[in-house]
Amino acid sequence: MPLINFAAREINYKIVYYGCGLCGKTTNIQYIHRTINPEARGKLVSIATEEERTLYFDFLPLTLGTVKGMQTRFHLYTVPGQSYYNASRKLVLQGVDGVIFVADSQITRLDENVESYLNLWDNLLAQGDDLTKLGFVIQMNKRDLTDVFSVEDLNELLNHTHSPVTESSAVTGEGVFDTLKIVCKQVIAKTG
Amino acid sequence: MAKRKGLVINDRQLDRCDELLQKLKEVSGSSFLALISTSGQPITTAEDQYHPETLSLASLAASSFAATQQLAKILDENEFTLLFHEGKGLNLHVSQVTDKVLLIVTFGRETQVGKVRLYTQRAIEVLQQIFEGPEDENGPEMDSGFELDAGLAIDDLFKDL
Repeated sequence: MPLINFAAREINYKIVYYGCGLCGKTTNIQYIHRTINPEARGKLVSIATEEERTLYFDFLPLTLGTVKGMQTRFHLYTVPGQSYYNASRKLVLQGVDGVIFVADSQITRLDENVESYLNLWDNLLAQGDDLTKLGFVIQMNKRDLTDVFSVEDLNELLNHTHSPVTESSAVTGEGVFDTLKIVCKQVIAKTG
Repeated sequence: MAKRKGLVINDRQLDRCDELLQKLKEVSGSSFLALISTSGQPITTAEDQYHPETLSLASLAASSFAATQQLAKILDENEFTLLFHEGKGLNLHVSQVTDKVLLIVTFGRETQVGKVRLYTQRAIEVLQQIFEGPEDENGPEMDSGFELDAGLAIDDLFKDL
């Protein structure tokens, strides 16, 4: 649900990185924070455990600039991936406009990916949202590792909505902005 | 396909909110007030000086408030409508205006909690009236060229990255 403030000439969209623990959600957002023009971003806020695992969320505001007289912003969030933090994930999903599902491409993480994907659907349905009406991209991360699923296999497993798919290595930044670009355009197209 | 509607604020609503927040700030002796959406986005503020961390503050306050609501459910309480943090020099008061809007108030030692709570509660009753009514009637439609221009701006922001 975007916040459209016609009086202040502002529009804000909320984009959430979702996926299982250690799939690379925080790494995505940290890379964006490090790399993008500093004038286009705000402060990166992370609520993490002492082991640097996300406890609640990471938050990074991006400013697109003024479009048709409207100051346009994207607020990027991550969720905690570990399965027992579902209550926190539900809270972060409130008011979401677009989701980037970060899939860990490693063969050993198949079950966690599927569990997280189903959990995303459950949580969205519980709050009355339909993923097909939101911006949605599946990012196949960790493509730089060896022992990974083929893109075709992951697509068959996780992409029954036929949503856009990107390949990435969030550690090196490969594919990070390609993914973000797609979902940013989607949320603008799907809201108004 | 029908486009999703968000929380839309029009000129009249914002003017009335700004006026009310300014008045609340004066009578309550508070230093910073912000109306934010429950998804963590700022709507408007009343402040002595520009707060550079308003976006982070809105995000954290909304998340914290949402967590408080879940705590209420776990404790079999219908809802907690207020979140209050007391510091040595500054206090933070977050309260619910509607199911989509929250009010943040910060204040120091120069005023009292009771005074802030009393005037905030009165202000919320007025704010609720401001945000009443079907959202679709609240504001104009987005400019038809917005999607195209935003797409170009996105390409420009992420180019060479």
